Order: sequence, then structure tokens, then C-alpha cells
Amino acid sequence: MNIVVCVKQVPDTATERKLRPDDKTIDREAAEGVINEICEYAVEEALRLKEAHGGEVTVLTMGPSKATDTIRKALAMGADKAVHLVDDALHGSDGLQTSYALAQVLKKIGFDVVILGSESTDARMGTLAAMLAERLDAPQLSLANKVEIDGSTIRIQRLTDYGFDRVEASLPAVVSVVEKINEPRYPSFKGIMAAKKKPVETLSVADAEIDAAKVGLASAATEVVDFAVAPPRAAGTIVKDEGDGGVKVAEFLASKKFV
Amino acid sequence: MDFSLPESARAVRDGIGEICARYDMDYWQRCEAEKRWPEEVWEELAKGGWLGLAVPEEYGGGGQGLLELTVATETLSAGGSAGGSAFTYVLTPGFGALTLTRHGSEWQRREILPRLAAGTMETCFALTEPDAGSNALAISTSARRDGDDFLIKGQKIWITGVQRAEWMLLVTRTIPAAEARPRTNGLTVFLVNVPEAVAAGTLSYQAIPKMGANTTPSNMVFLDDVRVPADRVVGRVDQGAAVLWDILNPERILLGASSVGGAEVALRVACDYARERVVFGRPIGANQAVAFPLAQVKAKIELARLMLYKAAWLFDNREPCGTEANIGKLTAAQAAWEAADQAFQVHGGMAYSLEYPVARLLTDARIGKVAPVTEELLLNYLATQVLGLPRGF
Repeated sequence: MNIVVCVKQVPDTATERKLRPDDKTIDREAAEGVINEICEYAVEEALRLKEAHGGEVTVLTMGPSKATDTIRKALAMGADKAVHLVDDALHGSDGLQTSYALAQVLKKIGFDVVILGSESTDARMGTLAAMLAERLDAPQLSLANKVEIDGSTIRIQRLTDYGFDRVEASLPAVVSVVEKINEPRYPSFKGIMAAKKKPVETLSVADAEIDAAKVGLASAATEVVDFAVAPPRAAGTIVKDEGDGGVKVAEFLASKKFV
Repeated sequence: MDFSLPESARAVRDGIGEICARYDMDYWQRCEAEKRWPEEVWEELAKGGWLGLAVPEEYGGGGQGLLELTVATETLSAGGSAGGSAFTYVLTPGFGALTLTRHGSEWQRREILPRLAAGTMETCFALTEPDAGSNALAISTSARRDGDDFLIKGQKIWITGVQRAEWMLLVTRTIPAAEARPRTNGLTVFLVNVPEAVAAGTLSYQAIPKMGANTTPSNMVFLDDVRVPADRVVGRVDQGAAVLWDILNPERILLGASSVGGAEVALRVACDYARERVVFGRPIGANQAVAFPLAQVKAKIELARLMLYKAAWLFDNREPCGTEANIGKLTAAQAAWEAADQAFQVHGGMAYSLEYPVARLLTDARIGKVAPVTEELLLNYLATQVLGLPRGF
């Protein structure tokens, strides 16, 4: 089975993250780049599918050259090889453009299953899996907390507010996973050492037959108009219980439309 | 000259660092308070192949050497376990793997190394006795021949990790110290199967209540004619000194590395507090009286680390490493102690609260100045062996 897992390098959430004042895109130099946490769960699920069904796990990422670290991390966990889409022309691409660019690569390299994390910690769109599925004309199985493959049928449990849905489709398909799905493994010593020797194919926009006019900040469908630093948290309201504490708390919650 | 760490050592730092990132200071505080083996971390280390780093690949290990173990110990210690708990790592991946790889017979290697690498078997090391600590060559635990076997009698003290060990590297005298010429002659190192000897009623041990490093008990061990077949001699009979130096030098280097890691933890804790704690309208770290001692500690940590890496590199290249190991051990322990002491000073009265990790870091750092060898003995080595000054004893 040809399993492709999409991973993204994001600014470390433990550090202060910034937007660039010049073009209002994420400042990827300001913070250390790390693998998006949910992507680790996607890699783990891809590895488990490979262990159960055989085949090969390919890591796919779109990002600047320093995203190589994130690729190596996924390879160290056990993926077989990687494709890195890297081109200055991609800078500032929004979700729609990213889905177009990645879909072009996926059409080129082929797949039985594409697995993604449900969202990234930087842009937090949470829509890439759906967009990719549409562009690839493949079923989308999103927010999975369980994935099973049986022949050419794929079944997932989709996490919902009320429990879960069982969703079934035929392969090839696009799956997004949530954190509850598994516990990602740590890279082993041999895994890290082997990762350094695994093949990483670098593709430019031209290599992937991506129309450069359709990607990048200039042609993005969405625009960041303005941004501001989040205001410091205001002091909370302290309710002093003088026999009517419960009522006051309830009134406060009602005023904020919590109850 | 190339100071860059090899890829293997960087892999160790990254891989173990990643495990440590998920087990914070609180985890290690709890292990220490509950006197509990860090089972969860140990399991991850086993799964990732980090316990068998120095075991040759043909026995299922990572095929690396003391340098990688040094980086591993340092990383584990810096991750929050600090000096005390890093000892858990030195006992088996250090003593067991290095010693048997270099000096073990084929049978001994096959018996021990694959399971050691898999993380399913542990070792410990027994040298010191009530009357032979700094003067280790004066040990009196004896091994005498009895047919094809040896019978071992004596008492050991400060033997860490006996409870979990299947095999003990036990140092004995086959020629009494008083008769040995030179004094290093007549030492023999044995592999003693601990559960077997306990079952036979010839080996018993008793944990010593101690100040810190309580994730692994340290013990008195009583040996009452422990029967050991001759094929469990490590190296050659009477020639155990050659094996012993290859245990003691790595021990100094690895415990030096655990001190370096402990120093890093203390420095991190101190700097975090110095950044956040505001007194007289500014963070206390802005005061040079607070900042400079921390900067001084940083300089000492880096120097000690460099010397330990050099010592490990020499060992791996089968060069003499005693001087470098001793200098590294001496300076690392001093750096750890100063770091912990400064962390205490920076925290002021709050350092005394057990809700902060400072007390643990201080206790862990203190033992480094006497174990496995006292500062005085290290200085004595440098004075007599390196500077050629006359011996005082």
C-alpha cells in the first residue's frame, strides 16, 4: 500500500510566535521550527497501517528548506522516504493554494491513502484534508480517531461532539486524524541514524507541474488585512460569597452567555 | 582538530532529549520523593535502543561507545533527573555494556549483551568495601578456588542497583592485598548471578537509607562463599586491574556527565527564577551580583563537558584517558555543586521549600564531590601522576 503522510513544520508553540510586519505572513525565522504536533499522530497512524498491511510510507511536506528537520523527524519515526516541495514561489500561499500545490504533487507520486493531522498549530484552518480530497477527487474521511483498512475499503471513526460517526469509503482516500487516535512513538537510535540516509526528493514548483501564477501571496484568495498583539488578559471578576455567591456566579455566566 | 559531535552522538542528544521533554521536573521530583525507579522513562529508553547504545550491533545494540553514553547520561540528567537519577543509566548501559564488550568472553557476551540491549536485564558493579573506599586496592573480599569453581567471601558497601540486577560485576582479591606485588596484581573480576546467589543463600543485601538519589537503592552486600564457575571470570584471574581501570575511567566520565547535566538543570532553574522574580522593581537576574555567578557556572560547565568528551573520545580510541577522566570528573562535580548552590542563592528562602527542586539538585550535586571518588583523590592523582609530586601515602 502506498501511504502518503502530509506533515507541516510550524513555529514552536512554546516560543513567542510572530507575523512578519512586511507581508503579514508567519515569521518562520523568528521561532524554532518543529513538526506540527498532530502530524506526529498522522505519521504514527501511517506507520501502523504499513505495519498491518505492508507497503511504503512517504512523507510529504511543503515548506522552506529548514523544513528538512521536520522531514527527518518523520523519517526517524520510521517513514521510508520523503518528498519536499520547496520553492520561493510558494511563500504566502493560503489554504486553497496549498491544497492545489500538494494535490499536484500527490497526483504525480500517486497514493492509496493520504493521511494528515486535523489542523496545524500556526494557521489553524483545519480544512486542508477536505480541500485535498476535493482536488484529488477522493473521498474525505476527516477527524478520525480510528482507522481500519480492509482490502480496498477504509473505515474510520469520526470524532464528533456527541460521540463518533462510522464512515466508510473506498480507496484511494484522504484521512485526517485527531490526537486521540494513537500515541506517537519516539524515534529510536537506529531510526534517527537510518533517517539520515533515507531518500528525500526535492521538488520545485516547476518539477511538480504547479502553475506558479496560482500559488504564493500575490494570488492568494485570502488576505491578512491587519493584525495586532493580543491584549493582556484583564483582571477577572471576584465574586465574594455573602450568602448569594451561587446566584452571582450564575448571573455572571448568564451575562457571558455560558448558561 | 574537529570539535563537532559525530552524528551518532547528536542522534543520542536529540532522541533522548525528546523522551526527556515529556517527563518534566515534577516527574523526577515524584520519583525521588516516592523512592521509585523511573519505570516509564526506562521503558522508553529500552524501546528506543538507548540502553544498548554501547553494545556491539552483532549482539543487538547500537554499536557505539563511551562518547555516546556520555552524551546520553548528560542529556538524561539535564532533562531533569539530575545527578542522582542519572546513575540508573550508568549501571547497565555503562558498566555492563562497556565492560563485557571490551573484556567479556564470547559466552559472557552472548549471555548478557543481547538482553541488556533489549532492556530486559540489568547489571551492577561491586568494588567498594567498608574498609576500602578511596583505597580501593585494599579490598579484602576474597575468591578462592574450589575445584572448577571459585568461592567468594566478603562484604561490599555502596553497591547501587543490586535489587534489579541479574548480574553483578564483582571485584575480588585472588591474592591478598598485603601479598600483592605490585598492589594492582591479584585482583579478579567475576560475574555473579545475583538471583542465583540469593536463592543459594550465599548473597544478601541491605539498602542503606540515604540523603538523595533514591530512585535506585544503594546497599551493603554480604557474600558468604558465593559459588562462581570459572567461566564467569571477566578477563583473567589475578589480572583484574586491566578490567577495573576500564570500569573506573568510564565511571568517572559518565558520572561527570551526570554532574554536567545536573549543573545544567540547576542553572536552568536558577535562570528561570532570576528572570521572573521581581524585587525592587526589576527581575533579580538584572543584578550583576545574581547574574555573574550564573555566568561563571556556565563557563565551568562548558569546560567540564569539553574535557569529558575528550576523555570519552580517548577511551573509545583505546588511548590512556585517566588524566582527562579525572580532570573532567573533578571539574564537572564542582560545576554541579556551584550551580546548585547558586540556584539556592537565587531562590532565596524559597529554595528551602520542597515544592522547588533546588533541595534535590543540591543533594544530588553534593554526592558528586565524593562519589565514585573524592575530589581529594582526584587531586592526588593529578599531583602525583601528572605533576610528579612526591606521594604522601
